[in-house]
Amino acid sequence: MIIFENATVTIDGRKSLEQLNWEIESGDCWAIVGPNGSGKALLLESLSNNGKILTGVGKNLAKRIGIVSLHEQERLIVREAERDDSDLTDQIFSGTSVQELLDESSLDLKLQRDLTKSLRLDSLLYKGFRKLSTGESKKVLLAKALLGYPDLLLLEDPLEGFDQNSSAEVTALLEKNSLSTTQIYSVSRIKDIPSWTNNVICLDSHRVIRKFSCNNGEDAKRFLSSITRMGSKQVALPVPPEKRPIRLNNDNSLVNIKNGKVGYLGHTVFEDLDLVINPGSHWQITGPNGSGKTTLLNLITGDHPQSYVNDISIFGYSKGGGETIWDIKRHLGFISNALHWQHRLTASARNVIISGFFDSIGLYAKPSGHHVRIADAWLNLIGMEKQRNARFSELSFGYQRLLLICRAMVKHPSLLLLDEPCRGLDEANRELVLALVSRLCTDGNTTIVYVSHELEDIVPQITNHLDLGDLE
Amino acid sequence: MPNYFNSLSLRDQLAQLGRCEFMDQSEFEDEAGYLKNKQLVIVGCGSQGLNQGLNLRDSGLTVAFALRDSAISERRASWVNATENGFDVGTYNELIPQADLVLNLTPDKQHTSVVREIMPLMKKHSCLSYSHGFNIVEEGMEIREDITVIMVAPKCPGTEVREEYKRGFGVPTLIAVHEENDPLGEGLNIAKAYAAGTGGHRAGVLMSSFVAEVKSDLMGEQTILCGMLQTGSLLCFDKMVQKGVDRGYASKLVQFGWETITEALKHGGITNMMDRLSNPAKIKAYELSEELKTIMRPLYEKHMDDIMTGDFSSGMMEDWAKDDHKLLSWRDETSHTEFETADNTTDEISEQEYFDNGILMVAMVKAGVELAFEVMTASGIKEESAYYESLHETPLIANTIARKKLYEMNRTISDTAEYGCYLFNHACFTLLKDFMEKQDSDVIGRGLGLNDYGTDNQHLISVNSSIRDHSVELIGKKLRGYMGAMKKVL
Repeated sequence: MIIFENATVTIDGRKSLEQLNWEIESGDCWAIVGPNGSGKALLLESLSNNGKILTGVGKNLAKRIGIVSLHEQERLIVREAERDDSDLTDQIFSGTSVQELLDESSLDLKLQRDLTKSLRLDSLLYKGFRKLSTGESKKVLLAKALLGYPDLLLLEDPLEGFDQNSSAEVTALLEKNSLSTTQIYSVSRIKDIPSWTNNVICLDSHRVIRKFSCNNGEDAKRFLSSITRMGSKQVALPVPPEKRPIRLNNDNSLVNIKNGKVGYLGHTVFEDLDLVINPGSHWQITGPNGSGKTTLLNLITGDHPQSYVNDISIFGYSKGGGETIWDIKRHLGFISNALHWQHRLTASARNVIISGFFDSIGLYAKPSGHHVRIADAWLNLIGMEKQRNARFSELSFGYQRLLLICRAMVKHPSLLLLDEPCRGLDEANRELVLALVSRLCTDGNTTIVYVSHELEDIVPQITNHLDLGDLE
Repeated sequence: MPNYFNSLSLRDQLAQLGRCEFMDQSEFEDEAGYLKNKQLVIVGCGSQGLNQGLNLRDSGLTVAFALRDSAISERRASWVNATENGFDVGTYNELIPQADLVLNLTPDKQHTSVVREIMPLMKKHSCLSYSHGFNIVEEGMEIREDITVIMVAPKCPGTEVREEYKRGFGVPTLIAVHEENDPLGEGLNIAKAYAAGTGGHRAGVLMSSFVAEVKSDLMGEQTILCGMLQTGSLLCFDKMVQKGVDRGYASKLVQFGWETITEALKHGGITNMMDRLSNPAKIKAYELSEELKTIMRPLYEKHMDDIMTGDFSSGMMEDWAKDDHKLLSWRDETSHTEFETADNTTDEISEQEYFDNGILMVAMVKAGVELAFEVMTASGIKEESAYYESLHETPLIANTIARKKLYEMNRTISDTAEYGCYLFNHACFTLLKDFMEKQDSDVIGRGLGLNDYGTDNQHLISVNSSIRDHSVELIGKKLRGYMGAMKKVL
């Protein structure tokens, strides 16, 4: 179905893959594996006809291609921003609804019904795409891809960001689909290789280093684990310049939310939420997709507008009592998917880390020599010292993620909010990040709130648990 | 109501026209502090209203939205937006009497009725803020003596005002105090704090006057911004079709061409826009623009003169009184033009091709920006004002054409811009007839298609320096410098 012979492929003029030899037969299920920055996303995209063959042969006989990837999600987010003509009409733009997005792919009502049922999208159909949570928008992308009756389905980390039920539903759906469709997966984590995989392609530094076929996904995982060396990480954290003194609330807490509620016309995200975060007591927040995990973190940062109509004490301020949002961010480190999307920057890798000192997206102030030295120490720690001047927007998603994690940690904030920090990271980098989090926990100056669906991404010091699913 | 500008002595006219200076960072050390614990009430919950409100609140200020009774009782979009964003919402009667500062962010045309309605409700010694001075300067609205009147105008759309703030930055902002209404002498402090509350002080604040803002804004929008792009669109499209270029291609090249070439303008001024052309094409565009400037200069001057005398606004207000009779018939005319009704090709046009095949469009942008700038500065308007009202705004208007061509542009821009745009277009279309007769598809539609792109060094140097040394380029470089690194949108 697809043949590459000695092909050099580029995407949007970005460097892609060289000397690519790859043959994909109809009905195959391939997994693309490799460390962060090895070119997995680029290889996946080059199959979607976005790639340009510079030399060699590239033939793709697929007629209908479905794709679920960060790049595709970003494309839709950018398109929504383009459609937003509120500045012209002076009317606030509510966004393209889920139903409209599905209709773009197919008006086959029966298939639409089946998919919305099995992915539990019914309650989201009239919501704007921009208002969906990470997991929800990924489900919509999947439904949209499947509605196009693809003969080739391209999926990037298809299970990441899903709660357990959703994960099981999506797995069942994809397994059924694999009977009739050629599927190519790009996976950051070996454990996410689907059980029905029959071929694996391994990348490193934008080259294919190995291809092999296997009886099933379990075979592939066993083999890959045997050739991947993992060791527990010992890390030391670069020390920030000076720590800004923090005030506590009257009850000595960092954050105190009473009867927290967020809702929109005719729809409540959560209510009756009480949360007290004391210094040194670290929290894990879980809950099904759409239960408001990210919303809760945004209430704390003040990025959610309804933080002003809630009873929130934070860092000695009573929210809405005259403090500025920068007074709060000064003591915060933060990473989330939304923050990642906001970072569509040409700033250098180093400046992105330094921006953490200024709580800005991009750098607008001249950094001191001290800032630069600390940023370089972080770059060393994550093994990106050579990329320090690389433009952020041209780095792979995994590398970008690592930089944003450093940005969040660089000032050793009093409160560190990590919303699915490990998304898109390979095994080694995930271990590194968890080791960093663990280290910050034990250093004693930083309190951590951690959101993750991945049961295996556990930080032992995090002992408090809030499940938003329990509120319902 | 008498025209305010015309009531001034020549001395005062010149003084107010010539006011526009870049304020030093040190003026904003107190940030939004002056307005802390004051009640801000915003009238108008559109894009500017909502987004400025979000920024001001994040800067620690107290903000509420005053809406018309019907918007609240019928739960209209403005009510939903303000409420879901966690703002206090109330009627004019409920909120205006409590306000220390009322931010009037409604469309221009509603200013007279809105201001008449809220003025009696405003408390003694409160402050009224505008984002555009037409109502005060041209309509001659007189505000109660005890009320302070200021202007704070971010020079970017509302969504951008918000996005830049969230990044920890801001957008350039113009402020002014209305001299007739500064009873307590606190107008400047309020305007500075308001500008800082929206994040504007991080990207640069220009201190101007109501008069300078209105006269330069009117001039920019009716000539280079809307007028030139409209006339240019129609002429370029017709020329291509006449020379046998595919209609669908011509339509697409014009619709998206303005946006693509002015994106280069936004990042690096006319210099960068011209640098995107090959050397021979650049020289060609330069020559065309010189010729265009000679032909169009009297028209640009006439527009400026009519704006200064107030003839323009009185003509337009007469049309307002006749239910926009002229405006609506012109709008309808636009919707039936060949360009407007043509369908675009589905073929891809690469970013560079918009430059290579759009030499005449580049020349029109250059000529229009430079002329508007030259005529404004020759009329007593400062370079800073002239830059923002010509070059800076061109990409924003080009963007509206890329969305849905001219009809949509005209429908969405302000009434003053639209009315002025039609006046300009009718005159300019005829004025450029002979010039257009001489042009072929090498400058619009097909590209130069030369075998040899060689150029004479001396000639190129003189063209380059003529482009780069123009005063709009010198001031532009300085002002863009304050904006920090231009972010690249993927």
